[in-house]
Amino acid sequence: MAEEIKANETLDVRGEICPNPDVKTMVKLKKMEKGQILEVLVDYPLSVERIPGNAEKNGHKVLKVERVDGPDHKIYIEAKGG
Amino acid sequence: MNPLIFLGIPIGLAFGFALQRGRFCMNSAFRDIIVLKEYNLLKAVGLAILIQMVAFAALAMAGVITISPNTFFWGANILGGFVFGIGMVVAGGCASGITYRFGEGMVGAMSAVLGLIFVGLMSTMGVFHPFIAWLRGATTVTLADGANLTLANVFGIPHYMLAFGIAGVALIVWAILSKKGEESPKKEEESVSLGTKIFKRGWGWKATAIVIAVIGILAFISSTAAGRSYGLAICGGYWSTAKSLLLGQNFIGWLSVMLMSTILGAFIAAKIAGEAKLRAPAPKVLIQTFLGGCLMGFGAAVGGGCNITHILTGVPQLALSSILNGTFIVFGCWTLAYFWFIRPMKNL
Repeated sequence: MAEEIKANETLDVRGEICPNPDVKTMVKLKKMEKGQILEVLVDYPLSVERIPGNAEKNGHKVLKVERVDGPDHKIYIEAKGG
Repeated sequence: MNPLIFLGIPIGLAFGFALQRGRFCMNSAFRDIIVLKEYNLLKAVGLAILIQMVAFAALAMAGVITISPNTFFWGANILGGFVFGIGMVVAGGCASGITYRFGEGMVGAMSAVLGLIFVGLMSTMGVFHPFIAWLRGATTVTLADGANLTLANVFGIPHYMLAFGIAGVALIVWAILSKKGEESPKKEEESVSLGTKIFKRGWGWKATAIVIAVIGILAFISSTAAGRSYGLAICGGYWSTAKSLLLGQNFIGWLSVMLMSTILGAFIAAKIAGEAKLRAPAPKVLIQTFLGGCLMGFGAAVGGGCNITHILTGVPQLALSSILNGTFIVFGCWTLAYFWFIRPMKNL
């Protein structure tokens, strides 16, 4: 259950304004190779709700959305690759 | 001071609460149709407009409120709307968006509010005022009797008929279209209590639209009781509060009271959901959101209102000024969103 996900890269978009968390995540995922895992640190509620859906829509695989503290979340996504 | 202005407190608290829970931001709504192909907030805006359109017409028929369209000054509506639309992309939020995020503790939104106040005051009473007064004067169009234009009075159709007609047709077409494009069956929703849904989770677009519309309707009634014949708005509330503080005179009315309560309501909602936290972007972004706020302040002052005044409250009254201004808010938003987000993403 408490299995740690090992991320290949981390994207910290905490504090960023709308829609940068979403856009930066999608751009980063596009550049990553198949199977690589991205860890997104995000504290903007709308993005926390939308990033997983958008990532799935673009063919990536959402592994986990984890609440860290307050608005702070960690989202783990496996890139679909080019 | 008219004590009825304090009727703005419950409205503002509820409005702030709903904005935060529903993430109700028109910048996201319009921008993300083209940037992220995301339609939920747009649907929320559309439904809230249609519900209010019917309710305002019915309340006006019953004599509870008076339909009060803003003056149609096409030059100022076009320029103001376009600049406001660009500004909200730069600021990362529309007037309601930066207001609820202010309450959430997002410092980027606070600096946008500062810009909106700063240039808003420069425009309503300072250095830009003569230009704005000229542009408005040169492009104002009214009916022969001086009445402000609405779709109804321009075509000589009774207001209620047109309002019910537009809302009815729009809802039927919408229902048919959404049936056709039936979404793939949703994953089983885990069962959570109603309390969790209301206080801890973000709301779905339908709930958001209905709640915002009901607040908008009550706002119009409450504000009318306090002597202000209009519904929800935002920018004017910031300006009159700031003016009172700067000049030491009392300009506080229903709108200021409502707006201050909105920020508090958003804070309470965020606090309960565990989403309230003071958090700031890089200094460069703070300057960016301040400048975005400045553009929004100018745009709202020129066009006679922000997205809430025009799109949420003016369009349901069929005000021509608001339809034009709102359209140009969307154009402004799309123009900058294209150059900032879509083109760079395409070039990857």
